[in-house]
Amino acid sequence: MMEIQLIINDINYKVDIDVNMRLIDLLRDKLGLTGTKEGCGEGECGACTIIMDGESVNSCLVMAFQANGSNIITIEGLENNGELDPIQRAYMEEGSVQCGFCIPGLIISTKALLDKHPNPTREEIREGMSGNLCRCTGYNKAIDAAQKAIEYLKEGQNDFKNSW
Amino acid sequence: MTLNQVYNGSSIQQVMELLKEYKEDAKIIAGGTDIVVAMREGKLAPKVLIDISKIEDLSEIKVERDSIEIGAGVTYTQLVENGAFGKNLKGLIKACSMVGSPQIRNKGTIGGNIANAAPAADSIPPLIALGARLKIGSTRGYREVLLEDYFQKLKDHGLRNDELLISIGFMKAKDKEILSFSKLGLRKALAISRATISMLIGIDNGIIHNIVVASGSIGKFPMREIEVEKSLLGRSIDEDILDLAVDSLQESMDKRLEGRSTLPYKRRAIVSLLEEALRESNIYRSEVKL
Repeated sequence: MMEIQLIINDINYKVDIDVNMRLIDLLRDKLGLTGTKEGCGEGECGACTIIMDGESVNSCLVMAFQANGSNIITIEGLENNGELDPIQRAYMEEGSVQCGFCIPGLIISTKALLDKHPNPTREEIREGMSGNLCRCTGYNKAIDAAQKAIEYLKEGQNDFKNSW
Repeated sequence: MTLNQVYNGSSIQQVMELLKEYKEDAKIIAGGTDIVVAMREGKLAPKVLIDISKIEDLSEIKVERDSIEIGAGVTYTQLVENGAFGKNLKGLIKACSMVGSPQIRNKGTIGGNIANAAPAADSIPPLIALGARLKIGSTRGYREVLLEDYFQKLKDHGLRNDELLISIGFMKAKDKEILSFSKLGLRKALAISRATISMLIGIDNGIIHNIVVASGSIGKFPMREIEVEKSLLGRSIDEDILDLAVDSLQESMDKRLEGRSTLPYKRRAIVSLLEEALRESNIYRSEVKL
């Protein structure tokens, strides 16, 4: 056992971990943040994608102790005061979700992309999502959702400016 | 699992001292993209893990006037997003941008693929073509080894159990040299390379006066393709140099891969790879206006 400190969705945690734990085990089994899914367990499917220190990563390939001192965002961190994140809203409206298992990972990959490149082309969106597998809805609707989210995020910024 | 002790490495010196203490019981972890899977599959069972992913001295790209030194802990994303690589080094950036997926590139490191001698690592042929040298350290001191020799004689040159790979350095491509890269994978994302080729070509007055060719997954390890280099050196770019390159590489492969089931496929595939590499050299050359 060892104690690590980290920030998850803007909350400070001091938590005892087993040295064998992966980050996904810490999130799901220890902290109950089960929005992050485990699919393949070897970095191929992207279901376990989270944002770690500003970059999207597969939480099944990170050991929990490596997250000591890190800043983590999971799907649970996107909602703001009961309001869905614009990316989540766009996914719902575009009908991008069927079984939903891959969606937390896809939404986090979309967020990681848009945080870095607010105005990507459709091709860049495809590339940004290339580490996430979906076996039921397919990718076109997720890409449509990302494009809609870009518009929402721009409007949000305008609303913010107008409110001043 | 036998893992019972882990360390968040804070400096190169501290990690070298931990390696001296634990030797073969310890493994270094950086991006974790290979080692975490290997541990879960039971292929690796270290007693001690030392994380180096938060050591700043290992995560820097130092660009000097004539040379570049890449810290072993630099991720593929860091390298691709670094604006300091000139257009004539495009082949290295292209190779790194084709590794795995965004998530893998955000974690996977240049050093990791060398330290675990990943046979299909995309980043390695361009680094071999650039004549890259590895800087390796331990409490006993530092040593340097040519990347090309490292794979060729892994027994002699490979990392000892108390050694840490610190950085990969190379001279910048000269003004009239262009680095290209081509890859055959089964699909675009997350595809392990079936074959890769990287070429550093220097052309003066239409004549190839300097050429280094390196391949990945065409042999047991990434290597120089000396016969291809010989076949193109001194030729004019207006000649049918693709045919020359194809003939010499196929001849080398026939010897090297004799009896392998993949040989007929790879023999055919390298035609397109060489064509792409040569075509890119031309395109990049016109972009840097040589």
